[in-house]
Amino acid sequence: MEPRMYAYRCTACGKLFHPARAVCRRCGGREFEAVPLEGEGTLLTYTRVYALPEGYMKPWLGFGIVEFPNGLRVSGHMNTEDLTVGMKVRATVGVVKEGVGRDYYGFIFEKAG
Amino acid sequence: MRKVGIAGVGHTKFGRAEIPLVDVLALAALEALDDAGVKTGKGNVDQVFVASMGAGILNRQSSVASALVDTLDLQPAMAETIENGPASGASAVKLGYMAIASGMCDVALVVGGELMRVVTGWEATDFVATMLHPDAEYAYGLTLPAFAGMFTRLYMDKYGVTEKDLAMVAVKNHEHAMHNPVAHIQLVPNFHAIIEDEDAHVINPYVAEPLRVYDVCPVSDGAAALVLCAMDLVDRFPKKPVRIAGIGQATDTHVVAEREIPTDLLAVRLAAERAYAMAGLKPEDIDVAELHDAFTILEIAISEEAGLFPRGEGHLAARRGDTRVGGKLPINTSGGLKAKGHPLGATGVSQIVEIVRQLRGEANGRQVEGAKHGLAVNFGGFGNNVVATILSKEG
Repeated sequence: MEPRMYAYRCTACGKLFHPARAVCRRCGGREFEAVPLEGEGTLLTYTRVYALPEGYMKPWLGFGIVEFPNGLRVSGHMNTEDLTVGMKVRATVGVVKEGVGRDYYGFIFEKAG
Repeated sequence: MRKVGIAGVGHTKFGRAEIPLVDVLALAALEALDDAGVKTGKGNVDQVFVASMGAGILNRQSSVASALVDTLDLQPAMAETIENGPASGASAVKLGYMAIASGMCDVALVVGGELMRVVTGWEATDFVATMLHPDAEYAYGLTLPAFAGMFTRLYMDKYGVTEKDLAMVAVKNHEHAMHNPVAHIQLVPNFHAIIEDEDAHVINPYVAEPLRVYDVCPVSDGAAALVLCAMDLVDRFPKKPVRIAGIGQATDTHVVAEREIPTDLLAVRLAAERAYAMAGLKPEDIDVAELHDAFTILEIAISEEAGLFPRGEGHLAARRGDTRVGGKLPINTSGGLKAKGHPLGATGVSQIVEIVRQLRGEANGRQVEGAKHGLAVNFGGFGNNVVATILSKEG
């Protein structure tokens, strides 16, 4: 199955969150339903990190914080070198960390269009 | 509530320890006990609080407070180990304060320490990142420098902070550290060489753009300690205790991307407001401050959130020289995390040691003349758990 990323919608008031949480920040609700979180967003800020933690074999990685049209903001990898604040990016899902016996999937953003 | 003071301080030389964690903690603790004139042995210290973020993960040792009480011969004192990320130190001081203020005990020993240089820099970076959200942050390889870099870019765009402003903060803190014998780094980088020279990118390369090597604190071992006492027992101690006038703490979203205003450090603002309210003081009353400059941008941002300078003007104060010793409001006279070092669990305690030395007039070449009130801000997570402490000179 193709990995997907999700937002979590409070079943009581409809507010969306990412990542999942125990209690809704708006209404105190405790039940959420997963809805796919995908599409295009806006790059709010970014960095290129040269001192990566243990487990990465690359010299550097790009990271960014992206805002989706539904207002959710998430962190992810940037799969493009040509970055400017405010640019449109498209969310893809891929391996963001290779673990022992398990890969971790997350947002990898690409230049939109 | 009883008033609580600090009767003794101790601090190891930050850097590379080469001895076990509990021995480092013991060195700082004994210096503080001696400074306070408090003897070891049964019944002299009622409670012991030990702050360490990484003992379990880095040193594979748990319950270090129990080990410390034993080696110091303080049994049967009550003892516990406190873990609150990089704010563990100030959290331990807060708990020591509560133990005495409540009337539960008279004398408490608070020690913070960390042994980080037992692992590689990559492992240390990975360890520190374990305080981030496991799925939405840590799993991506996101680290504290990564978030600091992204925060810095936003701050630069919004307020006009430049890379040169950040380098000025770094050089200033290294200059302060030259007067602090316990500071890890005992050299001053050349401003021109690290930021203006055409080869600046070689000796001062980017770590997490736009932050460079000289914007980031070193990885250090070390410990700091305080003897807390009830102020009504002030006559027992050789040096007049410095009073803990106010403590404030606040939390913010665990996930950094969820912050409503990404350039705000809300927990810093709330923690400082609570500390000022408890102390009955205003930001204008503060004479000297130790602010958690794990990254140079944080000294600037925290100085604004704590009300010491207007929002967006912290870098202008740094440019004017207001924040150096001799300026209007000296910040990080100890050298800060940037130059003194940042052994995580030690840092919050170390900041308070420096404020005590300033208020006692024991800061030698970095002394702020006539300092009466000092502020320490200890910053955990990327700002999701912050403790502010205000100390006042009595009389």
